[in-house]
Amino acid sequence: MVNSTVEEFLHDSGIGADEGFRLTMIACELVENAIKYGHFQSELEEIQLTLKLTENTVTVQVRNPVSDTSRRDLRELDRTIQWTRSFQDPFEAYVERVKAISGEPLEMSKSCLGIARIAYEGRAALDFYLDEDGSLSVSAVSTFA
Amino acid sequence: MPISESYVHDQLELTSTEDESSLTIRFSGKSILRDPAEFMMPILITALQSVTSSDKRLVLDFRELAYMNSSTLTPIIKVLEKARLGASKVTALYKKNVKWQSISFSALSIFKTPDARIEITGVE
Repeated sequence: MVNSTVEEFLHDSGIGADEGFRLTMIACELVENAIKYGHFQSELEEIQLTLKLTENTVTVQVRNPVSDTSRRDLRELDRTIQWTRSFQDPFEAYVERVKAISGEPLEMSKSCLGIARIAYEGRAALDFYLDEDGSLSVSAVSTFA
Repeated sequence: MPISESYVHDQLELTSTEDESSLTIRFSGKSILRDPAEFMMPILITALQSVTSSDKRLVLDFRELAYMNSSTLTPIIKVLEKARLGASKVTALYKKNVKWQSISFSALSIFKTPDARIEITGVE
C-alpha cells in the first residue's frame, strides 16, 4: 500500500519513473524499519510518512513510536548510519554489507542492508532524531540527478 | 519437455523450469515480504543442491521482478556465496535497461568467478 500511494503521489507531482522508483524504495525501506523496530501500544499509535519536495531535493521522513527498550535498536541505527557515512562512496558501504551478509549463516535472515541501500541506490543522506514524546523520526534527503 | 513448478507468496511468484542443461527460477511480481528468506531460501537451496548433483546450471532470472525490498537480497546473496564456495554453476539475469535492476544486481558482481561458473549478467 505504501508502495502504490507513494508512487502515485510522486507521479502526480511530476516526478519521472526512475526517480519515482528510487524515492518509493526509500519510503518503503524506512516504513519497513518502522514496522520492524517501532513500539505500538495501541491502534492510535501509527507510522507517519512525510514527503517534502523542493526544486532540488526530496525529503522522505518516517516517524514512529519507540519504547525505552528500543534504545538498543536506536544505538544500532546510529552506528549503521555513521558507518555508512564513513565511506566516501556509498557503493563501498553497500558492497561491504553484502560481503558481511554472505558470510553469515544461512538461517540468519536479518540483513541490515536497508540503510546502505538507501544511501547507495537512493543516493540519500540519512539522519534521525528523537522527539520529546519518544517518537523516532528518520529522514532521508535525496537530491535530484 | 521442461518440467515447471510455481511458488507464490503474497505478490511474489517463483517459477521453476528444468530442462536438460539448466534449472531456471524466474522471479516475478513484487517482493515486499518482511521475511522473504523464509519463503525463498528452501526453494533456492533445494534448487542449488539439485543442479550440483546433476551438473546443471542454476539460472536466477530477475528480469520480470517489479520491485524487491532489501530483505529479499539476503537469501540471494547467501545462495550466490554458497555456490561460489562450492562447485555449482549459477547465472543471475537482470534487465540492464531497468535502472533499479541495473543498480541492485550489478553490485552482486563481487560473486562472479573468473571461470564464469558464477555469472551476474545484465541483458537488454
